Amino acid sequence: MKRAFLGEFEEVVLLTVAILDEGAYGVTITQEIEQKTGRSVGFSTVHTTLQRLAEKGFLSSRMGGATAERGGRRKRFFTVTATGRKALLDVKQVREELWGSLPPQTLQLMGS
Amino acid sequence: MNSPPRWAQKLLEVFSDPDTMEEVQGDLLELYDHWVQTIGKRRADWRYSRSTLKLLRPLAQTNTTQYPSPFFLNPAMIRNYFRTAWRNLVKNKFYSFINISGLTVGLAVGILILLWVQDELSFDRFHTQSSSIYRLENWAGTGSSRQIWTATVAPIAGFAKRETPEVKDAVRLTENYAYTLFKYREKTISEHKTFFTDPTLFSVFDFNLIQGNPAKPFPNNNSIVVTETTAKRYFGDENPIGKVLAANDNTAFTVSGVIRDFPKNSSIQGDMFLPMSLFFKNIYADNRDGKNMDNDFSQFRYYTYLLLQPNTSVASLATKLRTIHLRNKPDDTDLTYLLQALPDMHLYKADGTEGGIETVRMFSIIALLILAIACINYVNLSTARSLLRSKEVSMRKIVGAARSQLFIQFLVETTLLFALAAALAIGLLFGLLPFYNQLSGKELVLNVSDYRIWQIIGLTIIGTLAASSIYPAVLLSSFEPLKALKGKVSARLSEASFRKLLVVVQFAVSVILIAGTFIINNQLQYIRSKELGYDKTHVFAFFMRDMSKHYDAVKADLLNQPGVAAITRADADIVALGGQTGDNAWDGKAQGETMMMYSVAIDKDFIPFFNMKLQQGANFTGAVADSLHFILNESAVKAARLDNPIGKRFRLWKHNGTIIGVVKDFHFASMKQKIEPSIFYYEPQNSGVIYIKTTGKEAEQAIASAKQSWKQYNADFPFVYSFLDDVFNNLYKSEQQTGLLFTIFSSIAILISCLGLFGLAAYTAQVRTREIGVRKVLGASVTSVIQLLAKDFIQLVLIAIVIAVPLAWWAMSLWLEGFAYRIDIAWWMFAIAGLLALAIALLTVSFQSIKAALMNPVKSLRSE
Repeated sequence: MKRAFLGEFEEVVLLTVAILDEGAYGVTITQEIEQKTGRSVGFSTVHTTLQRLAEKGFLSSRMGGATAERGGRRKRFFTVTATGRKALLDVKQVREELWGSLPPQTLQLMGS
Repeated sequence: MNSPPRWAQKLLEVFSDPDTMEEVQGDLLELYDHWVQTIGKRRADWRYSRSTLKLLRPLAQTNTTQYPSPFFLNPAMIRNYFRTAWRNLVKNKFYSFINISGLTVGLAVGILILLWVQDELSFDRFHTQSSSIYRLENWAGTGSSRQIWTATVAPIAGFAKRETPEVKDAVRLTENYAYTLFKYREKTISEHKTFFTDPTLFSVFDFNLIQGNPAKPFPNNNSIVVTETTAKRYFGDENPIGKVLAANDNTAFTVSGVIRDFPKNSSIQGDMFLPMSLFFKNIYADNRDGKNMDNDFSQFRYYTYLLLQPNTSVASLATKLRTIHLRNKPDDTDLTYLLQALPDMHLYKADGTEGGIETVRMFSIIALLILAIACINYVNLSTARSLLRSKEVSMRKIVGAARSQLFIQFLVETTLLFALAAALAIGLLFGLLPFYNQLSGKELVLNVSDYRIWQIIGLTIIGTLAASSIYPAVLLSSFEPLKALKGKVSARLSEASFRKLLVVVQFAVSVILIAGTFIINNQLQYIRSKELGYDKTHVFAFFMRDMSKHYDAVKADLLNQPGVAAITRADADIVALGGQTGDNAWDGKAQGETMMMYSVAIDKDFIPFFNMKLQQGANFTGAVADSLHFILNESAVKAARLDNPIGKRFRLWKHNGTIIGVVKDFHFASMKQKIEPSIFYYEPQNSGVIYIKTTGKEAEQAIASAKQSWKQYNADFPFVYSFLDDVFNNLYKSEQQTGLLFTIFSSIAILISCLGLFGLAAYTAQVRTREIGVRKVLGASVTSVIQLLAKDFIQLVLIAIVIAVPLAWWAMSLWLEGFAYRIDIAWWMFAIAGLLALAIALLTVSFQSIKAALMNPVKSLRSE
């Protein structure tokens, strides 16, 4: 089967959604990524990536959890779908295979 | 509490993706709070705005709908439009039938007329130089006898070419009466359409030689150029070049060129062309009066076409030519030249006033009216039935259809119907064409490969489609679901009155057409039955040729034959007199005055033969002195201002004579013309046309005897005769055809109107079924129900009549002005037209009304 293509940032976002589990929505995802990776990401970038992932079928969403600080607007909570999980696993597997086939001396040279 | 910049919020509201707007706004607010706490308000504002700007989707649709529907030209939607449209057509078979049949007939007839119009307008325009070719004509005569001659003198063409730089080239044509019988081997054919012409005919016009030497079409005086068809008639498939045709048995002509047959839309038509130089050689052979082709300014018999330089002032050229003419013949002071553009020749009269263009315009208007009526039918029926469809439209809207989609849906529905109607119409068109050609006397050919035909067909169909599809589509897609579902659409008055307006227009057009038909046919009847001033019944005539030398013997012989009642002779065709002359004088003629008069040479039997009434004086007696006696008609006496004409001196050409009689005015031309001055002079030996009055019953025998006598003296020539009644009818042939076509087209227009009215009436009855049921249960009579239903329509028709009558009056007075002798328009003609329209409408409506009124109320009320 053809592997689903997952960009680097898409992978990060998808993983973050998986990490956050029930509480994954725009704000938490943005903050989580900033915290974990230490790089500053724009909300708009995260938002469009989420949209794209939803379109690809890796994410599903539901509305809910309106709070006062949001002006009474609801949040869109994201969860990783089965396809999404498979895509993540695929990527992971590829990485591991690649790491695994690295010659030992090169690995040593890299200092690990 | 801090809030992000207002403009950024607004921007987000208007331009962000409607699908995700809610959470994006919420998320950004939350983040903004976070940013304010961590990095300060200024930078939070900055970040917020930047995120907003990045999220804008300026080209996306506005966010009015929260659930966007698919794009209205999405393939799935298009498929859906067609499916719905087809279902609708099939479901409402009755209305589909009415619509399609109305449109089919309307389109077929409309296109047919427009094709004819196109054909008429294309006359003489196919020459590459047609815009710079003009026909030279001249005015002659003074006062009431002033008129235009389209054939002019021979030398002017040469002078024009030599002396006026504006004239590049000239072509002259004159009818050939000298050689009529042509023979090749055992084939002998009598030719009628042959001309003497200049060789420039084949270069100025697009009548190029396809065989022969274009540089020298006539190598010598015995050359002849023929058309392809003519060549085929004589030589079959043999090469015609170099073949010798024997004319009138003694002159031999060698075919030196072949041209293509003349296109049907050419005003110049002919079969054979002989060199003009031969004609001059023949007529100036004896050098009589020292006249030759360069100085004879008195023979007006040459159709002259001039090829001009671009941007020539036609008026100043005409003046120059007049100066040339007067220099050569100073006494022609009444003559002025004028030029008519070649493309105008077919549709305009010689003086530039409207001729055939009037008919073309009239029929174009009828075509547009017929198409308009067909469109109105469609619009009326589909908007009337919109009530029934309002629920469908509302449901579609509630389920999520956008207005644009509904609009397209109805457009597709109309287009589908039109496609069916158009296909049928084109079929009908080809089927109708032979009948049309027969009726109109035209030879309209639909050449499928001619793009111009498809232009007309395409434009007509697209035009009518646009006219009849847009309004219903706009209306039907505009229903507001809530109101429509509550059943409140019928309360919309404006569109009902729009419909009424259209019905009024339709019937106004019908009344105008009925009145027009009526008046045209009355006028035609009038000119055919008007007292002509002479009796032409049972008379036939022919040109005697060699018989005329033996006239007395022939006459004596024929008078003894059965069926022959009387015989006379003249030099002209009395039904349509030809030659006019201004070479005359009388006591009291003013300086510079020229009276053009028709001159007829007759013998002493002529006036009694035709039962003409002598108003004063006496007839010719046959005495020698008669050669200096003249009989004038009343118009001539009036034009010459003679009080006591009998015995007065009168000069005609070189004959100084006296007036011995005045004949009552008689019609010797079409009723479109006024009776003009004419003169009879006594010259039996020059009267080559014999008139034979038959007893009517034994006409066949009389013709047979005449033929036998003809064979005796003109053995080689075919015997061609014609009855004066036929000649007379031919004068009005085009009017008769116009009248007949007008009648037919009007009937079609009325028929289509009725079809629409029928549909509307059926619809009204259908909508009011239950109302009628209730009324009947409560005791309404059948008549009162019929009245109820018919009243609305009758009102409309009455309004239409009121509008139509003045219009028809005005239009028909205009048409009648073309006739010198015409009927008066009377009020009862319009009354009859109005009543007829009313009766037709009533008949159409009452069928449905009666059906509805007779319906059993139990049935209609149960259907809830």
